[in-house]
Amino acid sequence: MTQTSVKPAKPKMSQAARQENRWGLLFVAPPFVGFLIFMAFPIVFAFVASLTKWNGINNMLDNFVGLENYIKLFGDAKFWKVLGNTIIYMIGIPVGMILGLVIAVGMNRKIRGIKVLRTLYYIPVISSLVAVAILWMWVFNYDYGLLNSIIKFLTGKHGPNWLGDEFWVKVSMIIFMVWKGLGTSIILYLSGLQGIPKDYYEAATIDGATGWNLFRHITVPLVSPVTFYLLITGLIGGFQVFVEVLVMVPSGGLDYSAATVVFYLYEKAFSSRQMGYGSAMAFLLAIIIFIITAINFKGQDKWVKTID
Amino acid sequence: MKCRKFMAVLLIVALLATLVAGCGGGEESDGKTKLKVFLYLNDHESDIYKGMIDKFQQAHADTISEIEVQITTQDEYATTLTGMMTAGDLPDVFYVGPEAVDQYVENGYIENLTPYLEELGISTDGLMQDVLNSYRHNGETTGSGDLYALPKDSSVFAYAYNKDLFDEAGIPYPDPEDPYTYEEFVDVCKQLTKDTDGDGEIDQWGCGMANAFMFHQFIWSNGASFTSDDYRTVTIDTPEFKEAMQKYVDLTLVHKVTPTVEQDSSLGVYQRWLAGQEAFYACGTWDVAAFMDPETFPYNWDLCCFPTLSTGKSMTWLGTVGYCVSSQSEHKKEAVELINFLSTDEDGQREVSGITTGNSIQIPNVIDLAEGEFIEAVENGTVEYPSNVQVVFNYMNGTDYCGGRFMETNYTPNAEWCNIFFESMDKVKNGSMSVDDFIAEIQPQMQASLDEAWESIE
Repeated sequence: MTQTSVKPAKPKMSQAARQENRWGLLFVAPPFVGFLIFMAFPIVFAFVASLTKWNGINNMLDNFVGLENYIKLFGDAKFWKVLGNTIIYMIGIPVGMILGLVIAVGMNRKIRGIKVLRTLYYIPVISSLVAVAILWMWVFNYDYGLLNSIIKFLTGKHGPNWLGDEFWVKVSMIIFMVWKGLGTSIILYLSGLQGIPKDYYEAATIDGATGWNLFRHITVPLVSPVTFYLLITGLIGGFQVFVEVLVMVPSGGLDYSAATVVFYLYEKAFSSRQMGYGSAMAFLLAIIIFIITAINFKGQDKWVKTID
Repeated sequence: MKCRKFMAVLLIVALLATLVAGCGGGEESDGKTKLKVFLYLNDHESDIYKGMIDKFQQAHADTISEIEVQITTQDEYATTLTGMMTAGDLPDVFYVGPEAVDQYVENGYIENLTPYLEELGISTDGLMQDVLNSYRHNGETTGSGDLYALPKDSSVFAYAYNKDLFDEAGIPYPDPEDPYTYEEFVDVCKQLTKDTDGDGEIDQWGCGMANAFMFHQFIWSNGASFTSDDYRTVTIDTPEFKEAMQKYVDLTLVHKVTPTVEQDSSLGVYQRWLAGQEAFYACGTWDVAAFMDPETFPYNWDLCCFPTLSTGKSMTWLGTVGYCVSSQSEHKKEAVELINFLSTDEDGQREVSGITTGNSIQIPNVIDLAEGEFIEAVENGTVEYPSNVQVVFNYMNGTDYCGGRFMETNYTPNAEWCNIFFESMDKVKNGSMSVDDFIAEIQPQMQASLDEAWESIE
């Protein structure tokens, strides 16, 4: 028996369409090439490195150790400690969201000087992270800091050693991060608030709803897309906190109490020259972020409402 | 439409051109050599060294067309150099510290200088041999064998005291040739610790102790060390180590002659010394120019020795960094000539040591110059230096009552194992943990980290 296979005929492109195609490809080439060089290659490189005992000096491929670095990570008490610290810092995310929403509601009205006020709140966001971190180091200074001066003035007692104490250093970092991020939440919530149609409130008011109920049942649900966005970006950014620690507590804090995962992996890779181990940590962190973000997206249907 | 296409092509060409330019190395032009140098220098050093490099290039203008100097900060240096190594794009000349010689040699990054020095007829006999030896490698370990780097500098971390505070308290100055015992030191410090403005709070202290730089002196003088002689075992649980640590923290907790840990966190010990709040502080050879500048430090001061513990010998740590030549360099001979010039050229050494400029940022590498012209210049005041300059040389060359050595971390693949100690040491210094408990807790962590460090390069 013979079989005849029939090739599906390819639709023939016209000369012009082919040329247009070529130009199209050429136009997308720069970002694509950029992605390959600056994203894809480093990711593959870091993954290969994470399977080796590369120290930046020796030959990477000669020092292949398989999954050893990952296995070691699970038994590394310091890794769990910095992961814990990183998660504790995330307390700042809901705090920042609540403050941001409250302030945004306050600002969502026509009052004199509102633009100035909005600008002021946004200044920390556009300021250099390093510069404001240095500024806050002085706010938190034990003897001469603004905070402890206020505490001493109000209570007559000496305030805590903000950056030198294992507990207070975390509080300090959270305060700083909330302050730094507040402008972003306010702006986003403001735009969210302005997108809520007025008639929702009017209808509810006619039905007898008052202040808190309006806020609770109209405002909060209808800005939930913003809340969702802030949550996602906050969590992703939260896992990557690094500069704040490096500037404000360059030693990582007493007994490593302020160090984050990225801070630890940076020290491992560049101070201790364990590039392979550092890469493994970076990969594990990326996986954690990926999983958490995926869970967030799965869960969003339950609480994120949209206006339509 | 034509115009847009043209723009697109132009953009792509430009993009590719930058990529290609990024990959290409600067090669020779008109048959002459181009050298690349990568260093970390502070601003003051940078002016002097750039001048020296220009001078060298002009003297060799017939063979060397250009010397490209890339300068960064000490913090950035290692990261950038690692990047260069990974990319296989090393400069012809860069730094190596004694701690990295072994790894650089074993992985073939740096060139054996001995054959070049012989060929060029350069002798290194006039340099400080202890420092030079830290750049030798015999194929197995650092310390002996062929030379792989020439010293950029060698530094000493000596002790210093504020003369004005001694005068005020009517206490005789410390004898630079007869270090205090610990007890004498505590006694003097107690007399210098006081409340100067009468508000009931201490605002002047006998001394300030920066753990990472001033703790080694105590343990070494007590015959202890962070590690065994082969740098593989953490030996902080010896009675000598514990005793020295106890005495060190007692300065803060029992004798109260230093600021507390909390006070240290408000204003660092270095700042307090500059503000005249501490009678004793340390002075690295790189600090001299700054401390001699009345704008920075408006007090009279001089050098002395750290107090002694049970061995009776005052100890401190030495530092050095050296110039090496990349094994990938295509112009090794010229590069060796350049580093020899930077390391030993007498005019250059006169400049950095302050003989000609007055401001000293390092002591001369050449012994004759250091012990001859330099000391003379200190004595007749042309270089601004405290009069007890001999303390520096005593620590460097060693005497029966004082000596210097490199920190243990100079001989281990990384310093993480030791950082673990200093990250948590304040728990003892603030009285919340005993020396015994602390050492029992921290030693296993340090040992594990040190094991890992050694294992990471095997």
